[in-house]
Amino acid sequence: MKNKLLLILMMGVCMYFSSSWAGETIKIGFNAPLTGFAASDGKSSSFGAKLAVKQINENGGINGKKLELVIYDDQANASQSIPIANKLIGQDKVAVGISGSYSGPTRSAAGIFQEAGIPYISAYAIHPDITKAGNYVFRTSFLGEVQGRAGAKLIGEILGKKKVVMITLKNDFGKSLAAGFKEKAKTFGITIVNEYQYSIKDRQFGAIVAKVKSDNPDAIYASGYYFTAGPLVSQLRASGITVPVIGQEGYDGQKFIEIAGKAAEGVIITTSLDRDSTAQETKDFIRNFEELAGYKADMVAASAHTAVQVAALAMEKAKSIDPEKIRAALAGISLKASTGTIEFNSLGEVRKSVQNQVVKNGQWHHHSVIDDPELLAPPEK
Amino acid sequence: MLYIELFIQGLIQGSTYAIIAVGLTLVYGLLRVLHVAHAGLFTLGAYLGVILTNQTGSLTAGIFLAAIGSGVMGMAIYRLVYEPILNRPPHVALIASIGLYIGMEELFRLVFGPFGLSFVSAPLQSVVVFFDIHLRACQIITMITNIILLGILAWISQRTRIGIGWRATVDDPEISACFGIDPVRVRYLVFFMGSALAAVAGVLVALLSNLVEPTMGAVPSYKSLAIIVLGGLGNVTGTLIASLALGIIEAFGTIYVGNLLDRDAIAFAFLIVVLMIKPTGLFASR
Repeated sequence: MKNKLLLILMMGVCMYFSSSWAGETIKIGFNAPLTGFAASDGKSSSFGAKLAVKQINENGGINGKKLELVIYDDQANASQSIPIANKLIGQDKVAVGISGSYSGPTRSAAGIFQEAGIPYISAYAIHPDITKAGNYVFRTSFLGEVQGRAGAKLIGEILGKKKVVMITLKNDFGKSLAAGFKEKAKTFGITIVNEYQYSIKDRQFGAIVAKVKSDNPDAIYASGYYFTAGPLVSQLRASGITVPVIGQEGYDGQKFIEIAGKAAEGVIITTSLDRDSTAQETKDFIRNFEELAGYKADMVAASAHTAVQVAALAMEKAKSIDPEKIRAALAGISLKASTGTIEFNSLGEVRKSVQNQVVKNGQWHHHSVIDDPELLAPPEK
Repeated sequence: MLYIELFIQGLIQGSTYAIIAVGLTLVYGLLRVLHVAHAGLFTLGAYLGVILTNQTGSLTAGIFLAAIGSGVMGMAIYRLVYEPILNRPPHVALIASIGLYIGMEELFRLVFGPFGLSFVSAPLQSVVVFFDIHLRACQIITMITNIILLGILAWISQRTRIGIGWRATVDDPEISACFGIDPVRVRYLVFFMGSALAAVAGVLVALLSNLVEPTMGAVPSYKSLAIIVLGGLGNVTGTLIASLALGIIEAFGTIYVGNLLDRDAIAFAFLIVVLMIKPTGLFASR
């Protein structure tokens, strides 16, 4: 009897707290890889999202309510993100979902959010199918193809290099970059001498490097993340290859420079975060992120920060947390964020310019900007 | 020229496989346990090597301390995990070992952080050029270390009392115990040596890529299983040859069939072909 009473009392307390919390805050769901091979990106994206929530709450929240970030670990694994999406929607009753994760988990979660009619924003996952899930799904970063096209312009036009070897990471990130690059290579007069593929687990590139050397290209377009690109670039340079190496946002971060050391000097990437930006939003973000996280800002962090800001502004504009109203507000949004001005096309894809960054004296710096709306136009369907 | 360079790159890669897999095959020969957590000791060695080298400024000290640290940890794993379940069926130890490996991976992430560690200024990166082939000092050292360590191992097992005792224990634990050889001491020795070798391999791989990550043991954990099966389970010479062969096949495979087959898939395709022709592996020990 006593136990039963205690149980009822505890249930009552739980219900009281859960209902009262639901009334006081607006919940934003966030899936990110906090463990497993992508844990470092999960850490950065969570810090970026936390920073945005902290800043918004310090300024009075949204429509008089504080934001609350609900973070779950998806291990960058598609099968993990499905139960997480269901939990965020059914149990946590989030107003908006945000992916701070890779393409695989984001793709599977996107379908569930679409079905439930809850807006979902991909912060930096690049697979084209994500926004095809439906009209509730948005993306605040570039599609892989778009960034690949920018890479072709960077090499063929800005650098004027025509004979290129591609080293492609064999996952949907690397492959969609390669597809975009190949699509526009001819337009910029580029001949692709050879393409080599490697797996995300590879760190030793001796064989590929030896072959690239015998190919004798003018430039190398190599996709990868900092943990593959760092070893790859240092091994390329150690073998005596001196031609420019062009990467993408996967390299973005201080860790790449730490791993590759002197070999990182002169590497150019296409990305979303300009370290030398004069825009107040970007300067503030870079400073505040370092204060909160204790390390230098990267693209992943800036993208998650942007995605939360976009979600918050949409809720403010909608003056409600009604999912349909938030969706409509997102579709028409225009926000100046750390990664540029965010506006969506009819598919929910972002339209913004590509920032090229180069490593100089152990730091990422401004190289050039690609702002060609036709080249960078994301698909509408 | 390209072929020679690919061959050398294959030998370097194969050397790292050999140093990892030898420890695994020693343990299998002695206890009939597939010691998956061996790859965790490889990662531990790499972390200790990088941290201690950064602290002391001496790579030699880093390698030496990493080998001792991983070696002691290997003995502890034998005592705390394998010894209590040795008389259970072999899959019990295998499952325990896989669980232990996953636990170690997450522990590394919690303790050392998810970003991975690098040398502050990576040693042995100076480049040696001969006939237009550029090799970093650490690549050459990897091949030399492979030869030296395996030479020492051969010497211990053939020429020293403890080594002879160890081989006797592998052949017949009961009879050798009757001759006054302590089987438990032999097991500790094997775990210490195997784990110390894994640590040396870890530091060498850290030098090659200047990156130590919590998940760096994932590939060696299963690839070294393929290698010891190829080499004929428990056979040290077979393991050595299988490692080098696999390194060379991967180097050529990456270039010529890499767009169809993953590097890891090449290893297992090779394993399947060999097992179809010779089910006991290349060099069956008995």
